[in-house]
Amino acid sequence: MMRQLIPIALSLLLPAFAQAGPQQLLEQAQQAYANGDHKHALALYDSVNNQYTSAGLLYNIGNCHSKMNDVPHAILYYERALRLAPGAEDIQANLDLQRAKVVDRVNQLPAFTLGSVWGRLQGGKDVDQWARRSLWACAFMAVAAALAILLRQRILKRVLFGTAALALLLTLFSAGLAAYRVQEVERRSEAIIMTPSVEILGEPRKGSTRLFILHQGTKVKLLKEQDEWQEVRLSSGSVGWLPREAIEVI
Amino acid sequence: MKNFILAIASFLVTGFMAHAQEVTFQASVDRNQFATGENIKLTITLENASASGGITTPDMGGLVVVQGPMESSNFSSINGRMSRSSSKIWYLTATQPGTFVIGASTARVGGGVMQTDPITIKVTKGASSGGTSAATDQAQKRDANLFCTISLSKDKAYVGEQIIATYTLYSRYNSLQPRDYDLPKLSGFWAEEVDLGSTNWEPALRTVNGLQYRVAVLKKQVLIPLRSGKLTVAPMTLNYLVNPGFFSSGTPVRIQSNTSEVTVVELPPGKPADFIGAVGDLRMDVKTGGTTVKANEAIDLSIRFTGRSNLKLIDAPKLGLPPDFETYDPKISDKITVNGSGMSGTREFQYLLIPRHEGSYELGSLTFSYFDPSSSSYKQLRSEPLTFNVQPGDARSSASAGGPSRMEVQRLGSDIRYIRTGDLALRRQGTHLFGSPIYIVGMVVPPALLLLVFLWHRRREQRLGDQSGQRRRGADKVAKRRLAEAEAALQKEDRSAFHDAVGKALEGYFADKFNLGVSEVNAEMIQTKLGGMDDGRIAKEYIALIREAEMARFAPVESKPQRQTYDEAVAILSRIENQLRR
Repeated sequence: MMRQLIPIALSLLLPAFAQAGPQQLLEQAQQAYANGDHKHALALYDSVNNQYTSAGLLYNIGNCHSKMNDVPHAILYYERALRLAPGAEDIQANLDLQRAKVVDRVNQLPAFTLGSVWGRLQGGKDVDQWARRSLWACAFMAVAAALAILLRQRILKRVLFGTAALALLLTLFSAGLAAYRVQEVERRSEAIIMTPSVEILGEPRKGSTRLFILHQGTKVKLLKEQDEWQEVRLSSGSVGWLPREAIEVI
Repeated sequence: MKNFILAIASFLVTGFMAHAQEVTFQASVDRNQFATGENIKLTITLENASASGGITTPDMGGLVVVQGPMESSNFSSINGRMSRSSSKIWYLTATQPGTFVIGASTARVGGGVMQTDPITIKVTKGASSGGTSAATDQAQKRDANLFCTISLSKDKAYVGEQIIATYTLYSRYNSLQPRDYDLPKLSGFWAEEVDLGSTNWEPALRTVNGLQYRVAVLKKQVLIPLRSGKLTVAPMTLNYLVNPGFFSSGTPVRIQSNTSEVTVVELPPGKPADFIGAVGDLRMDVKTGGTTVKANEAIDLSIRFTGRSNLKLIDAPKLGLPPDFETYDPKISDKITVNGSGMSGTREFQYLLIPRHEGSYELGSLTFSYFDPSSSSYKQLRSEPLTFNVQPGDARSSASAGGPSRMEVQRLGSDIRYIRTGDLALRRQGTHLFGSPIYIVGMVVPPALLLLVFLWHRRREQRLGDQSGQRRRGADKVAKRRLAEAEAALQKEDRSAFHDAVGKALEGYFADKFNLGVSEVNAEMIQTKLGGMDDGRIAKEYIALIREAEMARFAPVESKPQRQTYDEAVAILSRIENQLRR
């Protein structure tokens, strides 16, 4: 049993070694950003982003784009960061600032209250936090149950068994949320308009009826795809087709 | 005949005053430098002699004779001295700039020939408005005797660039009397009048297409276009009475000028952020009364713009001071002159700043951008950065004497929040903790360990439970078996065996039940183990029964019948069982 565990334990440590390189790049990028050289900072962050990701990294990239007045890219990266860490206050604040610069004022359906509760439940933490929580809860459950078995005193036994049962529930709950979050992160069902303006057509065909025009920075939901065309839905509910190169998936 | 009389007269005069009369012959011009379109007057005078054949016309050297020659002669007698002179006058003009030489003129006097000196004339390029522009030509065609023009110094300008408009009247009438006028309304321009003093005829006549005019500049304006596009200056209308005399009121004449157009182009893109519309050529000076002050004392700060520009359109620049400074609207003092070359001078903004709290405040360098039309580029002026050292002020003059003043934190601007620093919790793209091998191991190992603990514990329990547990559970059965033996002995009336069986049943039950050795069974132990049951009665009875069984085994004394002893033993065991089960 131990022999099988050793390689797994090593694989746990490996990412820590592998991060020595990117950590240096991050420090340089932070320095460049502090000096106001946002372009250089962006290049460094982007090179890290080729292999790695995290809410903090995406947020910093969004900040570089903001400073260079590239509103659609800033929004894109803030949205990506928020997807990894819903409810993060700093990301939300900067996203709101950039959204104020978007031309299109789409009538937003009022956010479902559960959505904000969900965001608060995440508390701006990373996608892995529920997985981590479930691991802790699982370990705690095992310890409590083992103590309950080993100890003799009746009252202690009962309390520990109750605790273990609660910990088991928490484990299952956290694992369920973790699974849901991973699925949510991987879904990639939204996109940001990147071209200054794009016509939304009624059909996936050049020259079909123009329904409306959207401008850079507006968020759309992705529906069907066909060849070079993408069907999208606005938060107001309108649906239409646009060329896929006009958008970038969050 | 006339000549004869003149000859006698001259003889007489020369005879009387030969010593005083000198014969001169000279040419003169009223100025030897003039601009094209203007006239000069050439006068050739012969004094105290008469030229036979007259004064010859000199070679004008390229200058055009506008008028002349006009001959005149006069005699004068001052204090008995007689003098006479005859002269010829020409008005000359030049069509193009350059240097011209008026040649010599000759006159035959007496037996000899007199000659004037040649005159060198320099002609400069006249003002563009003075030339024969298309507008002037057209206006002249409408009425060759009286017309007016509006001419602009540029026909293409940037927004904000100065243009000079000249309103000129041309007249060939001797006498004019103005009645009323209608000046054009300007739209798209900001106009500034040039002070010309009183309107007068220009001293020299001007020639337009060969005709001579008296010229008067009625008005000059500095126009600053405010928007781009083709801007027009509407024609002006003038009403005059021509040749009014003593007997006639004159003829009314209404004249209208041309319409002037200027193409105004937008300033090129790339306006600096601090550009507020100044166009021209400027200089900026920032002066301050002192950089070290006490809190609540005023600081003077003056920003002075000097140069040729639309100075009156320059607004007070923003200082960007921290809100701890109280600032008042600046006092504007202008020294601006508007003349034929445009608007120039100085505009000064005087600020009064009152720092309310001590500290060191930096007023970054003030920048001001203007557009230089001559190089078609934006230029930025930058002052030296200023730092104000504000020292604690007098407590008495403080704004609030009752302690440090408190105020709301003011929001000065909005910016995105700063980047996250420190550990960014990087992980590889597309991987998550959930579902990773680590996660699976982490979720499987604790329950597995728990299972191990459970199994281990159960086996240990079993091993221990084999002895004590089984004994305990079997105590009842063993006791019953022994009691059955006692029952049999009772039937056989074997006293000793009966008591032996009862005693063993009681002692064995107790030992088995509490996992003790037989030797450990004594009154004390029974008291401790069973003392709590039924207020100690059980323990008491149990001890009594055991004692009796022991004694009765060896002594033939029985305190009660054997049947009763047996029943009591059975009863007490079932009572103990009941108690323990509870």
